[in-house]
Amino acid sequence: MKTLRLDAVSRWYGNVVAVNDVTFEVGPGITGLLGPNGAGKTTLLHMMAGFLAPNAGTVQLDESATWRNPELYRSIGFVPEREAVYSFLTARQFVNAAARLHEVTDPVAATDRAIELVGLADAADRAIGGYSKGMRQRAKVAAALVHDPPVLVLDEPFNGMDPRQRLHMMDLLRAMAAEGRTILFSSHILEEVERLSDRVLVVVAGRLAAAGDFRRIRRLMTDRPHSFTLRSSDDRRLARELLAAPEVEAVEIRDGLLTIRTGDYGALTRAVAPAAQRAGVSLLELRPADESLESVFSYLVRR
Amino acid sequence: MTAALISITLRSLLNRRRTLFLGLLGLLLVAVAALYRLNAPDATESLEVTRGLLADFGIGVLLPLVAVIVGTAALGSEIEDGTIVYLLARPVPRWRIVIVKLLISWLLTCLLVAPAIFVAGMIGHGDAQLAFGYAAASITGALEYCAVFVALSIVTTRALIIGLAYVVVWEGFVAALFAGTRPISIRQHALSVAEAFGGSGAGVAELELANAVVIAAVVTVGAVLLAVRRLQTVELRGETA
Repeated sequence: MKTLRLDAVSRWYGNVVAVNDVTFEVGPGITGLLGPNGAGKTTLLHMMAGFLAPNAGTVQLDESATWRNPELYRSIGFVPEREAVYSFLTARQFVNAAARLHEVTDPVAATDRAIELVGLADAADRAIGGYSKGMRQRAKVAAALVHDPPVLVLDEPFNGMDPRQRLHMMDLLRAMAAEGRTILFSSHILEEVERLSDRVLVVVAGRLAAAGDFRRIRRLMTDRPHSFTLRSSDDRRLARELLAAPEVEAVEIRDGLLTIRTGDYGALTRAVAPAAQRAGVSLLELRPADESLESVFSYLVRR
Repeated sequence: MTAALISITLRSLLNRRRTLFLGLLGLLLVAVAALYRLNAPDATESLEVTRGLLADFGIGVLLPLVAVIVGTAALGSEIEDGTIVYLLARPVPRWRIVIVKLLISWLLTCLLVAPAIFVAGMIGHGDAQLAFGYAAASITGALEYCAVFVALSIVTTRALIIGLAYVVVWEGFVAALFAGTRPISIRQHALSVAEAFGGSGAGVAELELANAVVIAAVVTVGAVLLAVRRLQTVELRGETA
């Protein structure tokens, strides 16, 4: 059982603060690090994996600092986001080299096991240079878990994977978490984190915006005021009908565009169609106005 | 552990077209010597011309050019494209990475330079001792050059440009004008070796062998220590950071 621990960690590049006074712990199980691009996820992961020094605070795995500590990698497997791989090697050679650098007792068996685990056996003897993004990703994961590490840190592991590969990778990570490993992965996609992790850390603009159980954070995200824009055959008639619905907090028509606001996302989406029916109006479009992840995140930060 | 490090380094260096192209440069040296020999010159003249060819082109151009390209690529190419993460994320002592990278780039530089210099010397003048002296000079010089260029590639991402500038501007130009700068010219260290081992008439060196050896040793060890230190604290950022 291993615990990654960040205590009051900050990191800046020149004048730019990438990570700002972040404190959290990651224990066994799957933890998702969620945030928009540029929020500081990679910087956090790199500090945890010992590739960056914190400018302030401490980053530790159990009791030892991760920075300047190559022995750390006996316990950590790291999957970087960058696509660069040794494109001239086959996946088998690549994973085997990792096994030998880790001095595992039987590199060949460990290589076969890791390649089997990520489902790359059929393509393992082709050069990685010719791989698709998803296959490359799996080769990187195989190299990261060839020494059977108790901690696995993955930076955007699902990037470039097709849905089938994604499901396979999720199953793999779940199985590894069930064995008591500490798994931390980053993503900017809410659904990935929702489907995979028990625990979520939300980072926005270098700060930890929320941490904890996913359902709680989901509630925080869904309970905020939502805006929708609508298009219909008669906006004014529809607006009048919607105003009668208890879920609707505000209705506005500006520049010919009908916008409504609600505090209850689910109830509203269920109320719109019946309202249109009652008003005898054809509903053409119902679109969430501010569902970008950034707006969700900035809402969390303001709280 | 070390074997895996060696095989990755060798394969990545040999996979670069640039490295293979350097083999042609060695052939060029041999070809020039052969063309010259076709004119059937007399012995005094051939000694002078061959010595000039080995010193100015072999030690002065071929050696530093090969060393700067191989030496800065041995570790630098991985730092540049980010694959270094697959070496650093292993429990491998950083000094071992530096030593392996240095030895491989040294070996490769020697293979690309020393045989060409030896063969060119044999063809141009036909004296095995002269050829041997310059080949030996290229081997010792290669170690010092590679140590400096491997270290440089960790310190800066512009190692190739800076290395080339050092060779062309400092060794080629400044050291030619100002004798006082010659003790810190790797080319001069190598030429001292050539003079000491190349027999009579081999010498164009400016430095005593003993001085050259001491300075070269200090430079080499210093470069290795710097490289290890820098690799221990090299920081990997994300692509956008």
